[in-house]
Amino acid sequence: MRQFRTIFAVSLCMACVHPGLLASAEEPPRLTFTQLVDSIKAELEVTQKIKSYGGKEVEIQGFIIPAGPPDLSFFLLSRVSAMGNYCCEAPAGQDETVYVFAAKGVNILYDPLRVYKVRGVFEAGMQTDKTYGVSLFRLRHAQVEEAVGAKIFKVGEPTAPASNQ
Amino acid sequence: MAVFTVAVKYLQGRFVASALTAFSVALGVSLIIASFLLTRGIKEGFIEGTTDYSLIVGAKGSPTQLVLNVVFRMDVPTPNILSTTYEQLQDDARVEVAVPVALGDAYEGFRYVATTAAYFAAFPWRRKTFAMSTGRLFHDAPLEPPTYEAVLGAEAARRTGLRVGDQFYEGEEMAAYLLTVVGILRPTQSADDRAIFFSLASFWGMNEVARQMEVKPLTAVLIRPKRMSDLPSLHREFNVAAETQAVFPSAVLLTIFNLLSLAEEVLAMILGIVAIVVLLYLFVSMYSATLERKREIATMRALGARRVTILGIVLLESCAITAIGGIVGLLGGHGAAYLGAHVLAARGGLVTQPFLVSALQPVVFGSVILLGTLAGLLPAVLAYRTEVAENLAPLS
Repeated sequence: MRQFRTIFAVSLCMACVHPGLLASAEEPPRLTFTQLVDSIKAELEVTQKIKSYGGKEVEIQGFIIPAGPPDLSFFLLSRVSAMGNYCCEAPAGQDETVYVFAAKGVNILYDPLRVYKVRGVFEAGMQTDKTYGVSLFRLRHAQVEEAVGAKIFKVGEPTAPASNQ
Repeated sequence: MAVFTVAVKYLQGRFVASALTAFSVALGVSLIIASFLLTRGIKEGFIEGTTDYSLIVGAKGSPTQLVLNVVFRMDVPTPNILSTTYEQLQDDARVEVAVPVALGDAYEGFRYVATTAAYFAAFPWRRKTFAMSTGRLFHDAPLEPPTYEAVLGAEAARRTGLRVGDQFYEGEEMAAYLLTVVGILRPTQSADDRAIFFSLASFWGMNEVARQMEVKPLTAVLIRPKRMSDLPSLHREFNVAAETQAVFPSAVLLTIFNLLSLAEEVLAMILGIVAIVVLLYLFVSMYSATLERKREIATMRALGARRVTILGIVLLESCAITAIGGIVGLLGGHGAAYLGAHVLAARGGLVTQPFLVSALQPVVFGSVILLGTLAGLLPAVLAYRTEVAENLAPLS
């Protein structure tokens, strides 16, 4: 509980430092795949900024690729959906793939076409897992929710670019 | 304890009615327990019996058919792919292990699975381990002539009665290609227990079409990538190709589970109605019993029994009926689930034995007693409010 409170307090501090990254002050900071990709410089070295989220609870939204067992105790979270035909986009590489671990598994109605909101303790940097090999970004103790769709722009409303910063 | 003694006497007094009520409670509880355990058992069977490989490459078609056939040996095999696909995958820098499989005929219903020794290999990332119970693995040298040596899964060996050294074939035209049993595997709790394995060379030698083919056919290739993050690009490559598809077995299973959960919801509704019917029956039984006993209750009250005592007696009686029904139902439900799992397993389904002690049993038992007591509450209140004078009047 105390640990949780510390994480919570730290995320509140993060909120002050990066106000744009947060939906609201109570929510954990949300990382986007763009941020993850941008964070990678030459030699796949993860920049300090993204590393500063290490050990803290963050939220990442993406498509679930069930690369592990069917109880979803492990899966990949990707910017691109792993649908058979790949109609729109080329699949993501390592910089756009988050390895998600949920010890007790995840109970959701899996839909390859849906974006899921995954919260967990963030880790950045190369690491090798006995079962799942080398990974760059990880979320541990993950919890999964179906994400709500993006903002809808009504007729006449100016379609401002998504403000991420 | 007077309350207890009277409650027992009441139960004995209406033995047939009480026994029938308890029996209907038992039936309801066992139905709920059995269906819950079995659906969970089926789901667990799929989870435990699935493959360790992340990706399966096969011919274009239904992903569900590919996974059901290659991993669970259920549907019919998908069309063939060329063995060049396997060679290409083996040379791919992103692939750590690629295992070719070819499925086709069966002996007494136990499917032939042609593969290489890699299928049985132990890797640090594998959950599943293969071990020989007796004998050895088939010889697997792709360039040498086929050996027609077969290795049997534990269940296949047990059910066919084949032993090491025995020779077998199925279908007259196959008599020229006798398979010799060289080994039997230990149980793996997966569909591999029901398979008959031999080398690809033997498979191609037995198969008339394959014999004439320059490039030999395969059903699928199982893939373990060096990096999990390369899976999407591999997946895409084989899906946009004209001849092949790549499938995440877990994705297919999750889709099947989604369908199962729909059926589970319907089942839960039916079970809910069953529970209501059983409760109503209990209520009616207790209610009519109390009406019958108005005179006795009035006598007891006239002899000095307090209203609360009467309330306690009726509640205890209904509680006892549900407790007996609940215990018999729990036992019966487990028995039915055991038999059901046995029947399903005999038919080739994957079911884990559903004897898991979890929150289920205490929760069901607790709620049965609670609901049973609730059903007895109104009759108990009726008994509680029985007027002494009215009910002791002479029976005209």
